[in-house]
Amino acid sequence: MSRKRVVVTGLGMVSPLGNTVADSWRGIVNGVSGAAPITHFDTSAFTTRFSASVKDFSVEGYYPAKDARKMDPFIQFGMVAGIQAMRDSGLEVNESNSHRMGVSIGSGIGGIGSIEDGAMLIEHKGPRRISPFFVPGAIINMISGNLSIMYGLRGPNIAITTACTTGTHSIGYAARSIMHGECDAMLAGGAEMATTPVGLGGFAAARALSTRNDDPKAASRPWDKDRDGFVLGDGAGVLVLEEYEHAKARGANIYAELVGFGMSGDAYHMTSPPADGSGAALSMRNAINDASIPVDSISYINAHGTSTQAGDRAECQAVKTIMGSAVDQVAVSSTKSMIGHLLGAAGAVEAIFSVLAIRDQVAPPTINLDNPDEGCDINLVPNTAQERPIDAVLSNSFGFGGTNGSLVFRKV
Amino acid sequence: MNVNSPIVITGMGIVSPLGCGVDAVWRRLTAAESGVRLIEHFDTEDFPVRIAGMVPSRDQDGEAGLDEASVISPKERKKMDRFTVYALAAAQEALAQAGWAPESERDQAGSATLIGSGIGGFPTITQAQTTMNQRGYKRLSPFTVPAFLANLAAGNVSIRHGFKGPMGCPVTACAAGLQAIGDGMRLIRSGEAEVALVGGAEACVDPLSLASFHAMKALSTRNESPSEASRPFDRDRDGFVMGEGAGLLVIETLEHAQARGATPLAVINGYGTSADAHHITSGPEDGSGAARAIERALKMAGLNPEDIDHINAHATSTPVGDRAEMASLRRVFGEHLRGIPISATKSATGHLLGAAGGIESVFSVMAQRSATLPPTLNLNQADEALADLDLVPKTARQRALKHVLCNGFGFGGVNASLIVSGL
Repeated sequence: MSRKRVVVTGLGMVSPLGNTVADSWRGIVNGVSGAAPITHFDTSAFTTRFSASVKDFSVEGYYPAKDARKMDPFIQFGMVAGIQAMRDSGLEVNESNSHRMGVSIGSGIGGIGSIEDGAMLIEHKGPRRISPFFVPGAIINMISGNLSIMYGLRGPNIAITTACTTGTHSIGYAARSIMHGECDAMLAGGAEMATTPVGLGGFAAARALSTRNDDPKAASRPWDKDRDGFVLGDGAGVLVLEEYEHAKARGANIYAELVGFGMSGDAYHMTSPPADGSGAALSMRNAINDASIPVDSISYINAHGTSTQAGDRAECQAVKTIMGSAVDQVAVSSTKSMIGHLLGAAGAVEAIFSVLAIRDQVAPPTINLDNPDEGCDINLVPNTAQERPIDAVLSNSFGFGGTNGSLVFRKV
Repeated sequence: MNVNSPIVITGMGIVSPLGCGVDAVWRRLTAAESGVRLIEHFDTEDFPVRIAGMVPSRDQDGEAGLDEASVISPKERKKMDRFTVYALAAAQEALAQAGWAPESERDQAGSATLIGSGIGGFPTITQAQTTMNQRGYKRLSPFTVPAFLANLAAGNVSIRHGFKGPMGCPVTACAAGLQAIGDGMRLIRSGEAEVALVGGAEACVDPLSLASFHAMKALSTRNESPSEASRPFDRDRDGFVMGEGAGLLVIETLEHAQARGATPLAVINGYGTSADAHHITSGPEDGSGAARAIERALKMAGLNPEDIDHINAHATSTPVGDRAEMASLRRVFGEHLRGIPISATKSATGHLLGAAGGIESVFSVMAQRSATLPPTLNLNQADEALADLDLVPKTARQRALKHVLCNGFGFGGVNASLIVSGL
């Protein structure tokens, strides 16, 4: 079975740095932080009182506000990013091709805010006050469901959740569907809106979050000695993946080719990686093998880099293991230093940043990196973006449960 | 290893409202027992729905109830929600039967874990909300997040059994369990895994889920006679019954199974998935979306519609859903449908949502292996439009079977179909 080539022909994003790809990317290359105090609920009793949340979001120009009211914000973010990506791709869906197009958009947590509100309503007003739109407004596969209905996409319709690896896995599985010839185009990505009381409270109880309340913009500082946990972020990223010949035949704008996808499980601990980063390394190796490219052609790595003690160190170790002597030539950065950790959307927005790094030949910076931790002696692109020739890019995601995913994109 | 060798099932595990363990559950299912009962784990006095298919504990059911202590220590139990416990129990059974306990780095890296769930640790979220509300957020357990994440059934199973290959968790509502099996097949075909533990786990019966499905008018309110509440295809059906549990399969290529001396139980011949692109909670009346999934599964299996000997239907016991599924079956099977016995095992277990495809694929394998059609309970009088079909009412029947089709459809308009065949 010959394997089809998969290219990226459309991008869409809602992020803490802006509600379009262009606005978000401008912030990223300029090293801007999207973190700020939380204003959408009362955080006075919490140890962490800030996040990297989406600002000034509206569905206007995308779909009717009355439909949006029945959807948890994570679905709204995913829908808008998906619509942007479709528009950007110029794909036209008709009766003859709709069964060859599908959707694979996941979320790490899904409608947690809606579930909290529902639980509160039951407690105060009893079980009969719950809206009939509650279930379809909260469950994770409803971005895939709603976009499929909106555009009439009748091909594979999937939604994966693997915590913070969700976005990466969703893209990888979508690419597989195209590679295997099951369809010609997939909308793929992830969405998240978990800065809610239980979301914030739960991660704070797990001692995973930064508590740098006096300076939110300096809180996400991957690999820096003074890092103290991650910053919760919200948003969504969606890519249009398309079979190469299909894209070429219609004269589509091709951003990059998705050449490799790899996965692995740590089989180690629920919330911590093994110190040697072996699970992460296995995932990267699988992706590079899948891409059939030499390791030294990778010139930029968009790291998972969440700004936690154990995770950052393990990933740095894994990068050294995989890159070997080529480690001196690779730029490695964490865009989470600017947008925080978008959990199930992280892999998707970071895949988009990886694709744009290829387009613009620039490695985004890791901001707040003033004093690199011991052992983190590689080019982590501290504080300022680096213009450099970029041929292939690796993007990593690792999640609770010990689940890992890596993607390799390459210039076409 | 030849990745195109047939994919076989070498182990199965089940936790369900009919109890735990494939043999006991199958015995009860074919004896027409129901696992639907009154909910006891919270006060349902104010609730319009007070019944569900709950997993019996060992205390409630000495023969086949879940013995939690044999699965997990009390200390570890605090770190996870019920759906994960059910997945661990089903994994234990399936892997023991398959005789798969990877020890070498190579075998571990070749072992994948794909356990779907419709909603994951939903009760942990609602409980956390209550805890925060009443006692403040500092009383939240540090394990809140890893307990509610839907992929932590797969995560915990992979940690316990050293599965270091690909891991995943489809969450496509009621199609999640079957999609996990389909994803696992593809990982084996692409050479990314040699063995995959696949299926689904669900345990979300709690005040909010009950109230919210009821708000959609989706649930049966037959509280006076729980065992008669789930009645797919019957004229008097009034909605589905929520259920809990897990169903998992160990799959690998025949070549891999034979090389290690494992006994194949059945072949997975075909898989197909599609979207309705129609409506968020109901399928198109013509059944075209589901038909596409079934047709793809037949195509992969290289079978014609008339080759199918038995169908384990999605059949949740909602009028709209049952009718749409039948429309899809008529579309694909035409005249042949009359001769194909169709069972709705949700009549006995209730609807396990993301785990439904897991347990129903186990039932499909057992039907084939034991040449027995499981019954559709409570089917007194079939819906008029279904009167010409063989819906296996009330009692199990013997029949030799070669190819069995298993369907799963979910909110969002997602469809998945699987074909299991005798060796």
